[in-house]
Amino acid sequence: MSELKEKLKTQIIEQLNLEDLTIADIKNDSPLFGDEGLGLDSIDALEFIVLLDSYYGIKIDDPAIAKEIFHSVDSMADFIESKK
Amino acid sequence: MKIIGHCYINPRGAFFNGQNVLIATEENYLKNYFSELKIDYSKFYKMDLLSKGAFLGDYLLRNSYKDLLHVENELQFIFANTSSSKETDIRFIESYERKKNPSPSLFVYTLPNILTGELAIKHKWFGENIFYILTKFDSEFFNDQIVMSFLRGNEYCLCGWVEMTGSPEDECFMFLVAKSEVVNENFSNNLNEILNTYRNE
Amino acid sequence: MERSLKCYLKYGAIISPLGDRIEEHYSAFLENKSGIKKEGKIGFNSENFFLARIDNLANSRYNTLLNQACEKLIQNYSSSFLQNPKTGVIVSTTKANLAAITSDTFESTRRIIDEIIHPFHEPIIISNACISGVLAVNTAADYIRLNKFDQVIIIGIDVLSDFIIYGFQSLFALSNEACRPFDKERNGISLGEACGILVMMNTPDDDCIVEVLGGASSNDANHISGPSRTGEGLFRAIHKSLERSGILKEEIDFISAHGTATTYNDEMEAIAFNRLGLNHIPTNSFKGYFGHTLGAAGIIEIIMCMVSMEKNILFKSIGYTEIGTSERLNVISENQKVEVTTVLKTASGFGGGNAAVLLKCIQ
Repeated sequence: MSELKEKLKTQIIEQLNLEDLTIADIKNDSPLFGDEGLGLDSIDALEFIVLLDSYYGIKIDDPAIAKEIFHSVDSMADFIESKK
Repeated sequence: MKIIGHCYINPRGAFFNGQNVLIATEENYLKNYFSELKIDYSKFYKMDLLSKGAFLGDYLLRNSYKDLLHVENELQFIFANTSSSKETDIRFIESYERKKNPSPSLFVYTLPNILTGELAIKHKWFGENIFYILTKFDSEFFNDQIVMSFLRGNEYCLCGWVEMTGSPEDECFMFLVAKSEVVNENFSNNLNEILNTYRNE
Repeated sequence: MERSLKCYLKYGAIISPLGDRIEEHYSAFLENKSGIKKEGKIGFNSENFFLARIDNLANSRYNTLLNQACEKLIQNYSSSFLQNPKTGVIVSTTKANLAAITSDTFESTRRIIDEIIHPFHEPIIISNACISGVLAVNTAADYIRLNKFDQVIIIGIDVLSDFIIYGFQSLFALSNEACRPFDKERNGISLGEACGILVMMNTPDDDCIVEVLGGASSNDANHISGPSRTGEGLFRAIHKSLERSGILKEEIDFISAHGTATTYNDEMEAIAFNRLGLNHIPTNSFKGYFGHTLGAAGIIEIIMCMVSMEKNILFKSIGYTEIGTSERLNVISENQKVEVTTVLKTASGFGGGNAAVLLKCIQ
């Protein structure tokens, strides 16, 4: 699981063009969206949908669910595990 | 027309009102300055080169804003460069040609005026905004634009020349101008002198 | 500003999928004919989308279109007018010639204008997303009021490209049918391409149709790509435009809205118009005819506002059947013969920009 989370962080940096960040800058449980976390928004949520599809073959059609899944690295990893 | 603050950023250093504030110690100089200035603004990491440059320039000017904290409408942005959003445009093309996934978060930065949106959001400024493409920095052009802006009723102009493509020649020159009764015949000459001094640092 | 210096607009040229003459556009609009068509396999994964594409633009779409439009302009204007030291040129474009991305996407704009129009001054290029066209008209008016120019040629142009199509597709902003501004069933933009040219004068002649009363812009200060939920920027831009024009909102006969047909843009506009008490005024979006032509939009839509005023007709907002915004609007559902004297043109775009201009018929 922790391996998956580290991999996810690398993919997030790559997919969202956050090259200024390192994986150490992204905490497992801190919110990715909003000013409290990484300051991501609805456009970045679209990138997460692409990320899940291209790296994990998981398709998300309902943006409403997407919000919960993409809350943090933890919640994303849980979701990916549950789809295995 | 009175210049109440100016700043300059390039891959070697950052300056405010003629004084050297920071010297680059890393190749990624924008991230370098952002860390050195200890700014808390997580959206910075998402921004493109142009917005990062303008964001840092805006931060360097923070002491010049003291008298206009109440201003919401009467501050206009006048920005310009030569290469528009070229660096992000190329990265967006790569996202669909090479990575086979057109990137929405890159696409939204493929317009040069996005940087004015970033500054407006940060300060809650609802003023006028315009972005021009010029072959080179033109002080006379900025002079005319500022005159027109003040005649339209604006009180301040935040102006910027943000030519950044990821080259060693990249530069971000910003200056804040206040309306004043005194006619400054030498405005464009002053502006050229300020920029040339920065360029020769 | 020298308030005594007034500004007037007349037609320069227009090229869109609906034709390359004003009269052709008037005929097409009388029949509510749209330039938008279904185009096969143009999405990133070869999806079909609806576009307003100009046929026969060859490979160099931007350069060809700009060339053709400038050639049209010089048929109607003398070289002494075009080359006069008091004639300025302003260009509104978002992406210009993207094919030249590795060198300079704006080089061909300056070169083609220089080769065909031979202006005294280098063109002033505005690239401020979808509000560029309205900003170009407001900027031209400033140059005239400041007495820098006696007349200004205002060119608005953008063309279709994979870049633009894939970009809007990546934002899930493209409609799966011809766009339907303000309609309940709207689900996104139809992209288009066009070039429009206006000529602004400080002294009206017989061909001038409108006076430019005043205009303004305002930033939403909310989000770089999403429209404001409160319509704040658009509200302020229109409010300032009314103040600067010195007219009352009751005098407005028609609103040519931005109306891209995305859920959030049209909703934002309805909220702003409602806040200003303008929602009973006949309103349309010309996007159902031209698609969204980005940097050309403001210019070609002002040209069609001038046709409305010249011919005293309000054109139906194509694609609209039932209101789909939380605030009601008076969206024009059939062409109407009616006197059109004062028009409000608005635009909103990425970067949080909003712009407005008020026009008054002088014929």
